[in-house]
Parts: sequence; C-alpha cells; structure tokens
Amino acid sequence: MKRFDYARPADLGSAIATLAAAGDGTRLVAGGTTLFDLMKLDVETPGRLVDINGLAELRGIDTGGDELRLGALVRMADAAEDTRLKADFPLLSEALWKAASQQLRNMASLGGNLLQRTRCAYFRHGEPFACNKRNPGSGCAAIDGANRSHAFFGGSDACVAAYPGDFAIALIAMDAVIDVEGAKGRRSLAIADLHRQPGARPHQDANLSPDEIIVQIRIPANSVGRASTYHKVRDRESYAFAVVSTAAAVRIEDGVVADVRIALGGVATVPWRARSAEQALIGRRLDAETAAEAGRIAFEGAAPLNHNSFKIELGANVVRDALIIAAGRA
Amino acid sequence: MSRNFYPELVRVDACDKVRGITRFGTDNRPENLAHGAFAVATIGKGRVLSVDTLSAEALPGVLSVITHRDTTSLKPAQFLMAGGYAFQTHSPILTAEVAYRGQPVALVLAETLEIAIEAAALLRIDYEEVAFAATMDSPLAEPVAQAQAPMRYPLEDVSVGDALSAYEGGAVKVDSTYGMERQFQNPMELIGTVASWDGDRLTIHEGTQNAGGCKFGVADQLGISPENVTVISPFIGGGFGQKNSMQSQLVLAAFASRQLGRPVKIVVPRRQLFHDTTSRPATRQRVRLAADREGRLVGALYDVDAQTSKLDFFPAEHADTAARFYGYPAFKSFTRLIRTDIPTPGYMRAPFEHAAAFAIESAMDELSYQLKMDPVELRLRNDTAVDVVSGLPHSSRHVAECLRRGAETFGWSRRNPKPRSMVAANGDLIGMGVAIGLYSGSGGPTRARIIARRDGTVTVNVGIHEMGQGAVTAIINVVAKRLGVQPSAVTAMVGDTSGVPQPLTAGSWGSTSAMPAVEAVCDALMQALAEAGVETSGNVPLGEMVARTGRDEIQTDASSVAPGQDPQVLGRTDTGRVAPAGPVYPGFVTYSYAVHFVEVHVEASTGRIRVPRVVSMFDCGRVLSPRTARSQAIGGVVWGIGGTLREGAETDARYGGVMNGDIAEYLIPVNADIGSIEVGFIDEPDFQVNRSGVKGLGEVVMAGVAPAITNAVYHATETRVRDLPVRLEMLLRSQE
Ligand SMILES: Cc1cc2nc3c(=O)[nH]c(=O)nc-3n(C[C@H](O)[C@H](O)[C@H](O)COP(=O)(O)OP(=O)(O)OC[C@H]3O[C@@H](n4cnc5c(N)ncnc54)[C@H](O)[C@@H]3O)c2cc1C
Ligand code: SF4
Repeated sequence: MKRFDYARPADLGSAIATLAAAGDGTRLVAGGTTLFDLMKLDVETPGRLVDINGLAELRGIDTGGDELRLGALVRMADAAEDTRLKADFPLLSEALWKAASQQLRNMASLGGNLLQRTRCAYFRHGEPFACNKRNPGSGCAAIDGANRSHAFFGGSDACVAAYPGDFAIALIAMDAVIDVEGAKGRRSLAIADLHRQPGARPHQDANLSPDEIIVQIRIPANSVGRASTYHKVRDRESYAFAVVSTAAAVRIEDGVVADVRIALGGVATVPWRARSAEQALIGRRLDAETAAEAGRIAFEGAAPLNHNSFKIELGANVVRDALIIAAGRA
Repeated sequence: MSRNFYPELVRVDACDKVRGITRFGTDNRPENLAHGAFAVATIGKGRVLSVDTLSAEALPGVLSVITHRDTTSLKPAQFLMAGGYAFQTHSPILTAEVAYRGQPVALVLAETLEIAIEAAALLRIDYEEVAFAATMDSPLAEPVAQAQAPMRYPLEDVSVGDALSAYEGGAVKVDSTYGMERQFQNPMELIGTVASWDGDRLTIHEGTQNAGGCKFGVADQLGISPENVTVISPFIGGGFGQKNSMQSQLVLAAFASRQLGRPVKIVVPRRQLFHDTTSRPATRQRVRLAADREGRLVGALYDVDAQTSKLDFFPAEHADTAARFYGYPAFKSFTRLIRTDIPTPGYMRAPFEHAAAFAIESAMDELSYQLKMDPVELRLRNDTAVDVVSGLPHSSRHVAECLRRGAETFGWSRRNPKPRSMVAANGDLIGMGVAIGLYSGSGGPTRARIIARRDGTVTVNVGIHEMGQGAVTAIINVVAKRLGVQPSAVTAMVGDTSGVPQPLTAGSWGSTSAMPAVEAVCDALMQALAEAGVETSGNVPLGEMVARTGRDEIQTDASSVAPGQDPQVLGRTDTGRVAPAGPVYPGFVTYSYAVHFVEVHVEASTGRIRVPRVVSMFDCGRVLSPRTARSQAIGGVVWGIGGTLREGAETDARYGGVMNGDIAEYLIPVNADIGSIEVGFIDEPDFQVNRSGVKGLGEVVMAGVAPAITNAVYHATETRVRDLPVRLEMLLRSQE
C-alpha cells in the first residue's frame, strides 16, 4: 500500500471541486470495502482519497412519489432491511441480503457496491499475471487460465472478467436510473449504461468521468417488482459471490405473462438483461416448461471458456427456478 | 451417552479468550519494536540476480533491507523429517535461490508495519527464471517410488499376502481412482515472530506447536548456544500442523533484531502463508477392492500418488492408514511421491487419514452397492481384532460399537437403500452415508514438573502446547482429580522452554504423551510427601500436607515414555527432537477410530449440497475433558465438511503459486454451511497404550467425514464424486 493524501469534503459541491482539481490519481471512497482491499493488494494506488461520507446529499431512502430513491451512501444493510424494498421489490432486498457478510453490508454503500471491481484473481493479485484491466496492453491471463468464474457474455479478446456484484443485477431488471453529478453538472443514465463491456479498453469499468459522483439510484414504481426474487447459487451457503444468479420478476394477467424481467449475474462482464428470454414468455402461461425454455433461451449465444461451460445448464436451471419462485409471489 | 469418567470442566482459558485478554505470540509489543515485511518472488522458480533497494531505503522510516547478500553468516535450516527442525530444507533469503513463486526474497525492516509493506513493494528485483512444475500433472513433475526414495526415515510399501492374485480371483470388484486438491490449514492466528535480544540471550514469542524445535533450530541457524534461546508459546491460535516446525521468518526476525539492536516483529500475511509454508499435498489414489459374495474382503490394492516438493521427500503415509481399516487377508500398496516446485508439504490435520479414508471408504461404499449390501453391515463383516500389517492384536478397537451406536442415534434404519429414493418436501434429494476414519495411536517421551504449595495451590509444568484443543484444561482436570484439589487451585505452564523441554505437539500424541507424565509427576509428589513423613492417605488437604513438611513448597519431577521406548529417548526431547512411538508397539497396535453418519440434501437443479445432520462416534480411549473433547470433535467434523465440499487450492500451472490464496477465495465453511452435529464417545480406557488410558482425538475427528458425505451424495443422486472438493458442476445431471 502506498501513502496517500486524504480529504473529507462537507458537501457535494466541494467534493466535485476537489475531484475536478485533483486529476488522475484520485479516488473517492465510501465504505472502502472494495477500494481499501485493492489498495492493500497494490492494484489501486491512488495518491489522494476523497472521502464522501460527509455528504448529506447522498444519504437517505425516499419511498414517496412514483419512484423509489436510494442515496448512494445508504449502507447495504439498511437498504436490505427497508420495508418498502422488501414489500415492493423483494429482488432488491434479497440481492443485498445475499451479498457479502453482515459486517461488510454494514460498511458498504450502494454507490460503491455498483462500482465494485471484478474478482478475477489475475486482476487482484498483481505481478506476474498478465491483465489488461490492471495493466493495459499486458494481455489477459484468464482467457486460457483459471476461468471458472469468468464471463461468457459480453467479453472480448482483451478481457472476460465477470461483473461480480449482485445488487446491479436486480437493478437492471427494474430499469433503475442512476443520477450522477460532476463538474459539468448533473445527468441521469440508465443502469444498463453505467457499466462498460471491456472491448479494447478493459481498464475502464464504468461510463463515468473522474469528477463524477453517483448521487442516487432511482427505481421507477412498477407493478412487476412485487412478484420477484434474486436467486443466487454460490460455492458455499453464504458469504460468496455468485456462481450464477438470476433476478426475476413477473406480472401475470389473465393467466398469462404480461411483464417479465430476467437478469443474470456471475456470467457476464456487465449486469446482463436476458431480453430474448423475456420476450419468449410474454403472452404465455408461466409453468415449469415455459420457465425452462426461457432459461435455455437466456443462455443462447454464450461463448463459454475452458472452465465455465457448466454454467449454461446450471444457469438455465437457475433462471427456471427463479421464475417459479417469483411467480409464486404473485 | 455414557457418563464420562472425568468431570465436565469449563475450558480454563475460555473467559480470557472471549474477552480478548489472552496474548498470543505476536500480540507482544516490546518497546522500540521494529516491523518486518517480505517482498516475495514473482517467478515460478529460478534465482535472484539483483535487488535494487534504492527507493525502498529512501522511504522515511525504513531501517534496513535484508537480502541474501546480508545473510551469509546464517546456516540453512533442515527439514524436520531429515533430522532438522524446519518445515523444509530451503531457507528463503539465505540464498539467491527461488524455489517457488511467492517465496520471500527480501525483508524490509521499518518503524511501522505500513512503511515496511510500502517499502517492500518498492524493491526492484531482477530474476533469472527457469522452467518449473507447479502441479502433479506438469511435464516437469518428477515421480519417485517412495520405497526407493532416499529418505532419512524410509517408508516401505505395505505388502500382506498375494494381493494381486486375491484381487483378480475376487467375486465382486471395485477399481476406482480418487483425487484431492492441495489444502491449507489456515489457522486464525497467522504465523509470526517477535524476537528480542538481551545481550547474547534471545527471546522468541511465537505461536508454535514446537517451542523446543524452534529453540534448537534457530540456535543452530544463528550459530549460538541453545541455552541462550527462550521460546515462549503459551497459546496458539490454531496450528493444525502448520506451526509444527520452524518457519521461514523465525531466523530472519532473530537475525534482523540482532542487526538492528532492537526487537523485531514479523507477521506473515495470509496470502504469503499460501505460498511459503506447508499444505496437505494433492493426491491421486487408486483403490482396487475385491470381496466374496458374502461381502468379505479378499484382497486390496492401493496405489497413491502424493505431491511433494523438489526440496524434500515429504513422507506419504496413506497406505499405513488404509491397511488398518479392515481385516483384509491380502493388501498391497504402491506409493509414489511426485516432486514439484512448491514449498514442502506438511502435516495438516489428519494429514494422510483424510485422503486415505476418502479413497478406501468411498470404494467400500461402491462395493456395498455392487453387493447390494447395507454399508454398515459390510463394514461390520470386515471388522478385525488383529492388525493385518503386523499380525499383532489391537490394544483396543471399538469400531463395531461406534457403528452400532452411531446407526441407532442417527436413525440409519430409516434409510431406504435405493439411490434417489428419498426426497424432501421441497424436492431436494436426501442421501445418507456412513464412513469410518482412523488415526494411529502414538506417544512419546515427555517431562513434567510439579510444585505444590502450603497455600494449597499447585503449578504443573509439562511438555505440551495449548493450541486451543484444550490441553491445559485436560491437564488441570487430571491433576485436580488425582491430587484431590479444586481445578481453580491448579495452574499449568506449557509451551515455554524456560521450564521443562517442550517437544512438538502434533500427531494426536499430545495428551497420550503428556498425561502419563502428568500422572507420574502427581504420584511423585505424593511419594515425596510420604518420604517427608507426611500421611498422604485420608482427607488431609494438599496444602496442609505441604505445611506438615515444614516447607513452603514441594517440587518434584517425573517423565514418561511410550510403551517399549528406552528412557534414553528423553534425550531427544531435551534437544527439541521428535521422538514418538506407535502405532505398532511391542505386542500390540493402537489406533483411534471415528464413525460418521451424514445426511445430505441435494438440490437437483443446481447440484447444491447441504449437510443438515451429522452423527459421529469416537473411540479415543479415556475422555480426559468431556467439554473440550466435544468441541474438538465438533470442530473436526466442521472441518471435514469444509475439507470435502469447500476447500481446494487452485493453481495456474503457467505461473505456479496459489490463485485463490486468501480466505475470501479459498473457501472455508461459514455458519450457514453447518447443520446439527451430534458427537458421542465410547470412553473406554486403553491402559495398554498408556497409564492414562488415552488414545488420540485431535486428528481422528475429521478422518472419514469426506467419504461419509460423498457416500451420502451418491445415495441421494446416484452420482459418485471421486474428486474433492465437490463442486456444483460435478452433480449436474448432464455431467454424469
Ligand atoms: C470478502 C468480500 C465478499 C463480498 N461479497 C460480495 C457479494 O457476494 N456480492 C456483492 O455484490 N458484493 C460483494 N462484495 C463487495 C461489496 O459489496 C463491495 O465491496 C461494496 O459494496 C463496495 O461498497 P463501498 O461503499 O465499500 O465501496 P468503496 O470501496 O468505498 O468504493 C468502491 C468503488 O466505487 C467508487 N465509489 C464509491 N462510491 C461512489 C459514488 N457515490 N460515486 C462514484 N463512485 C463511487 C470508489 O471510488 C471505488 O472505486 C464483497 C466484498 C468482500 C470484501
Ligand atoms: S479477464 Fe480481465 S481482469 Fe481478468 S486477467 Fe483478463 S484482462 Fe485481467
């Protein structure tokens, strides 16, 4: 770990000003559970930290009106326990509950959660591994290496690192919107546009400029979130990243599917919406057979690596089970 | 459950540990302490050409950088199993050689740990890299028949009767191969040293299972008299074999402290522990079993490939265990050591027994289905009172009793023998499995000293280490009962070389060695009192007896050795050497036994396995401390679950080292992985093996859990898992 300067601005404006003035080697820190971890591994080596925990503008959960607003500094644990989330969006609450550990959830913020970095071991553990994300141009050790936990959707020749988070998978199923503020003012972007597929520039995870801060997450009120689940399969019963996960939500009208959302975790470089699987269900009954078919469709087009092809079958089953659980809540 | 002979004593150090008062080795912070951090090799094998220390040394607070050029006065360490004191022969930073990726290549000393870490990352190291073999499958791995290997303590293959003919002539046969990845001990307490000098006297605070070995080992490396070294290790935050010998950092901490003229602390971080200390070696075991139609084994062939390093021949004793499961009329083993470029493997809880049980007891389960015979019945039919290897009787063997009591407690009779026949309300497939585990009953030379005082207090000092297993609680239980005093009046001093010698505590020979010495020293005390003219029968309190001698305190010494050992062997203990005997003694053979019954629930769509219920029965001789024995047993079963379903090192053969080298990625069980665990003890003393009637417990507890789980998985799913750890993909239907 390198020495660094530290600033703790009191409001959003001065935080942005500090960021804008500081330049490249600056990172903002919320809960620190991703950032400090990577700093200890010498993967992140910022010369300056801007601590945003003093920004009141980023706090609070607002459940009034026609959308749900979650401040970027809301702790994972607090959001997971929020009664409106539990009632209207069980998939959001479950995605948080099933992530990390209670200690981490007490510390970690929602904004930081969205921007957590990949668990790819070649990325995290530095020299001697080739890794384009950590060291652009050095190559990708994972493509021919230990890639059981890597992505078969959204990868490139340069990088196949899986996006590891759970919450963003549930958010993309709910078409959440992210409000960010930077030196050029405020803007909103769909959660689907927040994360970048690696392409030729895997070192850049998100479509944010260095002076931009996530202020809040907005989830439009909808009638599909209530019958939903976040179904996560992992290598142990708790405290592990997803091997495969599915966020599923469904609205049944007159016995057939009127609206359905399916998003996949653990298998893609970014939060992954399985739209063709959704399409296949619209207007049909949801039963074990159609759910299984949707599961199969969700994994069409996968480009499996040496060690992750089992996730095509496993994932299809997980999608099917998630749809059945979600429908059971309708 | 039967009533235990010894009373239920609350763990004596429990309250201090819960309150965080207990000081472990590196909790010591002498004044003016300097901190050390290692820079580690990024190549798979080769040598260090140069170390550029310029920018590291320029960092304020850096005191010194030590490389192989600075350590020429130090003698390399020697491997424990080659007459030395260390976990391997190779001593990082004592030479330019890099034997494996992750090995320390330089040590930075600084005013704070943070500065030391930052500076270590600033070192610029040039290497010459050579080709290497990181795994057993690498082209450069070198197989060697163990019986031919030039080992200091050679190991023969086991050969009883004509096993090949017996196997070939058998009516029913199994021929299967079982694999297991490398595993790591991961005790909570990291390995580390606090070293300080007072003139030419060196004091070491370190959590070690082998204070004696560290004392003599570091003295040898530094070229000083062992009399000038004191090693203090009263508490160990878990050892599990990883702390059973001298580790790389010890001599470097002592050396750096002498150079700087101030105390030095080095704590080896978790990730480095995956790269520069021991592991349970990876194995591949082929088992061929043949039986007659009544299920009686007629012959067994057992071939083991076990990983070792290119530095040392780490003995693979799987066959000695495998040959003791049953009364095979014929048995033949063939063991190869596969030499690879990793640190020398070592003794991780049930080092060979975990793997051997997985192979033998999985094969027995496969046999039971071929025979259409209940697995418990098959095991009962092949039980034996005689050790087939030596032809000697077992001093005690209550396997049948464990099987019967376990089956009853577990409700084995409710098991439908047909695979995939039992289904839970939520659709999960239910499976029930059983397996045996065993572990050799060893013991060794131990010294003890006792001081009884006029005020009624007693201090006992004995050669053993408190690793959290409850050694001190058991000692106090034994002393209190024998001397008729309250446990609270007794204190025990262990793990400190300023008292009686502190030999290695491992191999489940801790209690079997120390308790006879403790009993002997209690008896010696009573004899000393009698010789002083004090009436020792009747109800006179101990303090009063001491008072009647006219003295303030009475001190006596005693020692014990294992059956058949020459008391001369105490000399080895006195010089920090390992000297256990067993399991084969003059006239008999001793093993401890475990029988595990496991229920699993398998989610068919994902292959996810849960273990809601385990019932385990143990035959460990006399139970000295019911409470800590129970904890020990539950802990062992938990580890058995982890060692089957979770733990496994991942290696990328292109790079060497361990990919998942931290406990976020190297999975160990969490609470949610563990269901109900019920443990029971036969509690029958074995007075042939020692006067205390104890056989070992610490290791046997996890032996056999693995096959009990995978046998249950087979019963649930009809899929036979032959490679550990079990992963989801192994149970997906299409993978079958
Ligand atoms: C052992 C372990 C297990 C874990 N398991 C899981 C799991 O199962 N599922 C899961 O989803 N997660 C898991 N996590 C990840 C964890 O959820 C994240 O580390 C956490 O959510 C990050 O939040 P934070 O506030 O601590 O982020 P920080 O570490 O403070 O920041 C992370 C990144 O986001 C940036 N950032 C933070 N806030 C903002 C903002 N408002 N605007 C712009 N940028 C911002 C930071 O600059 C930094 O780059 C695990 C983590 C650990 C250590
Ligand atoms: S997958 Fe991406 S993060 Fe992993 S090694 Fe390749 S480039 Fe690096």
